[in-house]
Amino acid sequence: MAERRGSNLQAAKAVFWSFFGVRKKTHYEDDAVKLTPVQVIVAGLISLVLFIFAVLGVVWLVTS
Amino acid sequence: MSNDAAHAHDDHSHGHPTGIMRWLTTTNHKDIGSLYMWFAGFMFLVAGTMALVIRAELFQPGLQFVHPDFFNQMTTLHGLIMVFGVIMPAWSGFANWQIPLMIGAPDMAFPRLNNWGFWVLPVAAFLLILSLFMPGGAVAGGWTMYPPLFIQGGISYDMTIFAVHILGASSIMGSINIITTILNMRAPGMTLMKMPLFVWTWLITAYLLIATVPVLAGAVTMLLTDRNFDTHFFNAAGGGDPVMFQHIFWFFGHPEVYILILPAFGVVSQIIPTFARKPLFGYASMVYATASIALLSFIVWAHHMFTVGMPAAAQLFFMYSTMLIAVPTGVKVFNWVATMWKGSMTFETPMLFAVAFVCLFTIGGFSGLVCAMTPVDIQIHDTYYVVAHFHYVLVSGALFSIIAGIYYWLPKWTGHMYDEKLGKLHFWMSVISMNITFFPMHFLGLAGMPRRYADYALQFAEFNAIASVGAFLFGFSQLIFLVVILKAIKGGQKATDQVWEGADGLEWTVPSPAPYHTFETAPVVK
Repeated sequence: MAERRGSNLQAAKAVFWSFFGVRKKTHYEDDAVKLTPVQVIVAGLISLVLFIFAVLGVVWLVTS
Repeated sequence: MSNDAAHAHDDHSHGHPTGIMRWLTTTNHKDIGSLYMWFAGFMFLVAGTMALVIRAELFQPGLQFVHPDFFNQMTTLHGLIMVFGVIMPAWSGFANWQIPLMIGAPDMAFPRLNNWGFWVLPVAAFLLILSLFMPGGAVAGGWTMYPPLFIQGGISYDMTIFAVHILGASSIMGSINIITTILNMRAPGMTLMKMPLFVWTWLITAYLLIATVPVLAGAVTMLLTDRNFDTHFFNAAGGGDPVMFQHIFWFFGHPEVYILILPAFGVVSQIIPTFARKPLFGYASMVYATASIALLSFIVWAHHMFTVGMPAAAQLFFMYSTMLIAVPTGVKVFNWVATMWKGSMTFETPMLFAVAFVCLFTIGGFSGLVCAMTPVDIQIHDTYYVVAHFHYVLVSGALFSIIAGIYYWLPKWTGHMYDEKLGKLHFWMSVISMNITFFPMHFLGLAGMPRRYADYALQFAEFNAIASVGAFLFGFSQLIFLVVILKAIKGGQKATDQVWEGADGLEWTVPSPAPYHTFETAPVVK
């Protein structure tokens, strides 16, 4: 915890790449040190909501 | 336990009950782990026997051995017991044995809750088995407990609801214990991203359980009040909606699928690096993929019920979201393959089962993608194609990884190496007979054979006969496994502490068999 905390944007990026399944090693190591579990979980839940809306958007495009 | 430092070295507990009372009152994570495993093993034989009744009846067209109503009871109880009485307790057994050993904790966080969580299970199992002998027999409407059938049956339906409540309570207790243990009792230096993958997968599974089991409890409670207290949640005649039950059930049921398979991913991710003698490829992406699969599992439930009717937009949403689960699952499969790539591989029995898992689970995953396509699903819904799909996921997926895990950690648990020859025989018999049993079911389903019927049209005869022969081979092959386990418990070549040349992790630093108390002084992880 002596390290400075990572930004919320960094948490969002980490979660985005995790949805895709890959992350650059240096960035991952930076995430592991700087991000807190709470940041990652909150970013994950927000990303899930965004993901749902993205899929709904595709559905809307297909059906309209 | 005593605070007296002079007794800290003692390997056994003083003044504790012996015999049956030891097992009834135990709060030791290894004892409780063993209890879970034996319970799962016993229930596997019970539900496996039910499967053989089903396959004996389906060996030929026409009615041979059992009444159709009893056949339906067998399919229902086979499903309920295999899910709630075999796979889930087996994973709880692994969690109890391995999580404290893998994170360097002396025991689980709540040892008495742990005892209670186990000992309610036999009560639920007793209720389910006893229901067979009630007037009208056991539940016969399928393991999914759909109304209206489920609000029309006799006393055995109430017993099943009670059993599901108890099983759910046990799961919640186990989950709370596992989460608390993992988050609070890790050895110094073991950060979250240093945890073994099995621990990670169980942590995420435990959250899934806490999020979904109360939903199931709510659904079956509504069934109970519909049955006994004149409510009409699911009764269309009273203004209710039976389809609502399906939505609520599958909001639990789909994450449940991942509850059954995520710990399997964890076990395989422990075994493959050991026998490939390479660290797991992409540890972090495995953790992320597990979390992604867990989150996605909450938004796909209606793919189980495309045929009950829903707007086209909903069909598309659930079809797309379901197909997207293939992305994190693919990440996992590629990671396992990449871990094996250029590794110094040896194929002891745990590795054989793990490699079979990777190949055959992937077949189950692909047939899942086929089922995810709404127009295709409408054709194959409730056919043997679906039966083939979920047996590839649950037999060659969950069950094979349970077997792999038992072979892998059995030397640590018993202190003896298992009989490798018998282990390999068990593997080849299982993997061949499993495919003989379930692969023809794809063809049966595509040709239109419906599931949950005691009889079928003549054109399905050959593949059914093949499947039945495979099922009996598979069933009896599991007796080899029982012999292997009993032999290892009784004696055999002494296991070393590390057991496997490529094994890495805290559990391999303690003696084999693991002493009754381990890590009373926390190890330091660098």
